[in-house]
Amino acid sequence: MASMTRFARFGLQFTNVAAKTLRVVPNPQCQHWRAFNVSSLLLAERRYTEKHEWISVEGTTATVGISEYAQDALGDVVFAQLPEPGTALQQSDECGALESVKAASEVYSPLSGKVTEKNDEVEETPGLINSSCYDKGWLFKLTVTNPAEIEKLMSEEQYKEFLKAAEH
Amino acid sequence: MNTIITKGYKRGIHKCLYSVFEEAHINLPRQCFHSNYKNQNNRTTNNYGLPPSSFVTNSTKNNLKSSNVTKISDGNIRKSVFISQSYDVFTNLALEDWLYRNFDFSYHHVLLLWVNDPCVVIGRHQNPFMETNVSKLNSNDVTIARRNSGGGAVYHDRGNLNCTFFTPRERYDRKYNLNILTRALFREWAIKSEINKRDDVCINEKKLSGTAAKLGYPNAYHHCTLLANTNKLNLGNCLSKEEVNYISNSTASVRSPIKNLCEINRNVNTSQLISSVGYEYLRTFATELRDGGNQQIMKQRGFQLINPTEKWFPGIGNLRTEFKSWEWIYGKTPKFSVEKEIFLKDQDKEHKMILNVQVEKGLIHNVTITMPNREQLPVVSSLQCKCYNEENLSKIINALKLASTDNIMQAINSH
Repeated sequence: MASMTRFARFGLQFTNVAAKTLRVVPNPQCQHWRAFNVSSLLLAERRYTEKHEWISVEGTTATVGISEYAQDALGDVVFAQLPEPGTALQQSDECGALESVKAASEVYSPLSGKVTEKNDEVEETPGLINSSCYDKGWLFKLTVTNPAEIEKLMSEEQYKEFLKAAEH
Repeated sequence: MNTIITKGYKRGIHKCLYSVFEEAHINLPRQCFHSNYKNQNNRTTNNYGLPPSSFVTNSTKNNLKSSNVTKISDGNIRKSVFISQSYDVFTNLALEDWLYRNFDFSYHHVLLLWVNDPCVVIGRHQNPFMETNVSKLNSNDVTIARRNSGGGAVYHDRGNLNCTFFTPRERYDRKYNLNILTRALFREWAIKSEINKRDDVCINEKKLSGTAAKLGYPNAYHHCTLLANTNKLNLGNCLSKEEVNYISNSTASVRSPIKNLCEINRNVNTSQLISSVGYEYLRTFATELRDGGNQQIMKQRGFQLINPTEKWFPGIGNLRTEFKSWEWIYGKTPKFSVEKEIFLKDQDKEHKMILNVQVEKGLIHNVTITMPNREQLPVVSSLQCKCYNEENLSKIINALKLASTDNIMQAINSH
């Protein structure tokens, strides 16, 4: 339940930010710009998969991590096995594993692309995934080869709904 | 690779189950008992028969959305107990992995029971050298294997039963599975056991069972060991490591005292366990820990003897080869380094050096020694890029002791 309230908070933050950005551009002539602002903001925001990974895209690079819900469900992560830079991945490929109290959980790639970087700090200190799953606990980065895949992932709002539905 | 057991306990159980079902006038599909019973007369080495129809899985079915899996009602879920006919650890791990990859468990939950010849099985992210003495195991004909699930190292032999509970990820429930074990022990032998914080089944804080799991999509499994009458002396010997200092962030095993079930009740053995755990699993509802008695058993698909062969499970041979490969067992070892203090004698005094061997992907990567003045010197060794093992480590140590005392002294003096 704790994780759900945290999500609710994220959702609120998100809508606030969007509202503010809209307010910054009061000129009605900038209708086009306003729309652009919102959509680029959405892209910079995280998108989620049904397997509880998140991505955030900057330019052509996507950063991948696991969600607060997943982190909470796993418990203390004791080992992180991440994909090597240079690995070419298809969407939904198995690309690593996180081990917590005796369970190895597969990590699936949310997008197709080539791995450019893995988070060495997480390999050294897997606990970062628990303490900071959206920031220091990111797992790896990849170049986006098929931007259409991003659109199909869930937004923060949709993911929240998805979690609610799964609980019932 | 593996042999079909036509005598001994498995056949015994099988026959008796078959007659139980026949007496109850339950019309079970023949395939449920597809195995040696049916094929006893027409079996040849090339023809183990065809897999039961329930094995034919339709991968498109696996596209059920996760929220829908949890909506499947208990009454629509069937259960099976699969009993592997192989004692080979690699074959059994391959069978487990095959089912995990290919089977659709949405409407059909499976408990796989398997027994191995002596071997040590380490967790997916473990270092075999920190758990066992690999060179010693090899000379004692104990196999070493790496499994796909997390957790620590375990010793298997014919006195230990392995239980794998397969479900869709959304139905993964470790407590449910462990309760099946404790209930089975209580029903059959009135043995009262507990489940501790680490999800081990214990009696008086001594472990009967160890647990590990693999979670993926759409499937997940939880497997555990159950000690009936394991050779405890061997178990202890096999899980002792070489006395050197290993530095690594690989998953560490938690060493715990263990107990065999036969010490509590001497009637317990693996074949009895197969029967009692299997029945307990079948008589319990699929989605809740509620006993459904014989009524529930009759709704299930019963016990099925499994031949883990290519005919039944296309592709299982490749999986087995992979499990047996050096690249999987040793190459997957998280990088680590080994430290060992070495004392080298000069004419009048002793010098303490620290040997450091760095190992990446199972291969010796870098060898250095740290001098008494804390300076690090690289060591050129012919063993670089060779497999790391205890023998190669002692070769390096001996080479240093014998040949290079003078060189090292010179190196010290020149600095």
